[in-house]
Amino acid sequence: MKSFLRLHTWPLVCLAIAANLGLQLYFATGELKEWAQIDWMDVAGEGGSAVLALVWLVMLLRSRPAGRVTRLLTLGLACIFFAWWMDTLDEFVQMPQQVAWDNWLETAPMPVGLLLLTLGIYHLNQEQRAISQQMSKREKLFREHRLFDKVTPLGAAEYLRQQIQHALAEALENEQPLSLVAVDLDDFDAINRRFGQNEGDAVLQAIAQLLMLNLRRQDLLCRLAGDRFVAVLPNTGEAQARMIADELQQAVASLAHRTGQHGERLVLRASTAAVMALDDDSEQLLRRLNLGLAKAKQQLPRCA
Amino acid sequence: MVIGYECDTRFIPAHHQPALLIDLALSRGIDSHRLLRGTGLFYADIAEGRAKLSPEQFVTLIGNAQRLLDADDSSFLFGQRLLPGHYGEASHTLENACTLHQALERLQCFRALLSPLLTPRLLLDDKQAYLYWLDSCGTGHSRIFLAEACMTAVVAMSRRLSAERLPWRFHFSYAKPRYIEQYWVHLGEELTFDSQLTMMSLPREYLHRPRPDASATAGQVAELASQTQLASLGWQCSFLDRLYEYLQANIRTPLNLERVALAFGMSPATLKRKLQKHDTHFQEQLDLARMHVALYLYQVRGYGNDEVAAYLRFTDTTNFRRSFKRWTGMVPSGLRRLFG
Repeated sequence: MKSFLRLHTWPLVCLAIAANLGLQLYFATGELKEWAQIDWMDVAGEGGSAVLALVWLVMLLRSRPAGRVTRLLTLGLACIFFAWWMDTLDEFVQMPQQVAWDNWLETAPMPVGLLLLTLGIYHLNQEQRAISQQMSKREKLFREHRLFDKVTPLGAAEYLRQQIQHALAEALENEQPLSLVAVDLDDFDAINRRFGQNEGDAVLQAIAQLLMLNLRRQDLLCRLAGDRFVAVLPNTGEAQARMIADELQQAVASLAHRTGQHGERLVLRASTAAVMALDDDSEQLLRRLNLGLAKAKQQLPRCA
Repeated sequence: MVIGYECDTRFIPAHHQPALLIDLALSRGIDSHRLLRGTGLFYADIAEGRAKLSPEQFVTLIGNAQRLLDADDSSFLFGQRLLPGHYGEASHTLENACTLHQALERLQCFRALLSPLLTPRLLLDDKQAYLYWLDSCGTGHSRIFLAEACMTAVVAMSRRLSAERLPWRFHFSYAKPRYIEQYWVHLGEELTFDSQLTMMSLPREYLHRPRPDASATAGQVAELASQTQLASLGWQCSFLDRLYEYLQANIRTPLNLERVALAFGMSPATLKRKLQKHDTHFQEQLDLARMHVALYLYQVRGYGNDEVAAYLRFTDTTNFRRSFKRWTGMVPSGLRRLFG
């Protein structure tokens, strides 16, 4: 909450001042209405709209870093709030007949705000495309934020399952092979134990980036659980998948990861497994992949 | 006479097992006030090493952590650090165990200090070692979380002590969870769900391999110190544990609430109230003990229906089969292989 306030101090302060100025101005020129004169239906409608606009504004500011798009959206919403706020005040204050500017204060900010908001949404759209471009190896055509992994910038197991199902259906339709590759770090709990949870998380993040760099455009990388990653490889046969798995293994072995605290070099090794989809569903396929990995792990020398 | 600790006995030092969970939550950016809400604890007290928790409070803390972390791997990450742990002499007994067998025996012996919420029980036959887990004080919603954490803890400890991955196999008394991949990664592939027991097993040969880096003398001294520590607490294990042991030991005699209350030196009303406090009742505990004896006789000793029924003092086999179905949800012939 604190960081949110610090990041967006100015827009909020300006809006508060503007709203307050409007209030003062009305009180200075007009007269308070009698209790019976107030139309409570209007107050609820216009006041409620103003409150909602404010809620949107706060939600927007909380969810976004500062920047051009945020600025446009903020200004737009602020104008809309201001228009509704003045509208609400109008219900309580009787303005003299000869004053015309009060009408302007109520109506003018609304179209301006809507225009700014539209412009902001247009740029948001552009921004989203750029982000999607960056996300391409981690996310395919479908977003569900509740399925994001909490440590790495990847999808988690549930997302992987859904995507395997999609990929299986697609592979069947196009009569193309589909393969999965699993990468599992050897002796990862020793890192957690020796260097702590935070260093372990940092290793996972580094590995996630590394694996992504080593995959092709059409591939999808997810974190299954713990230190186990799974890549979905469309239009890939078993031999090619095995080759990619070996490359990923080599990439992990030659990564020079250094710890955050003392810059100590960690030697990482990974076991891999590759399976091609036959007649199985996503659950069976994952299970087969894990058995393959268990077999690969058994061949490891006794770890220290 | 104090039989054993109960769900509201405050004896778990907050800087022991609970601290591991607190650290995990804090490292994931969770606010300590929200984490400790409802437990009646303050972080400052925990950091000073003064706070002690009751099992009940620990379960509340686990519930909070589970909700706030909102991740399928919390129990496994927590479990990985649970054993041998940093619980003073009791942890030293594990670190300096000469064999895995000794470590597991000490884990069972000092369970009040090492695993206060879930009781490990070691059982050996000529080929396999079985470690099954029982609820020590009514853990309610955290049952699965605790089972995951405790089993991961033993897997991680045995892996560390024997410096290799061991071929553990697992049985769980609950349905297969949605996040099965966590089990694959943290425990292994040999998983059976909807089982009668929450249990892990290992071929016996792995139990007796010597550990050259352990100090037998240090281990012995630590064992003595841990025994003194338990003696100063006034009990060895939880109240439910003691009841389970008593029932198993006297399973061939007629058992009812009044007799057991008498043996424990309390009034039947008190015993009933204590059981109620732990969210259970006498018949449930008796059925549990009898089911475990029956399972053992069937699957380890290879008894037939008549022999088991006779051992448990049932007058006829039909009656026994009906009871067995009530305990386990299936008839004896429908049992899957649990042991061996």
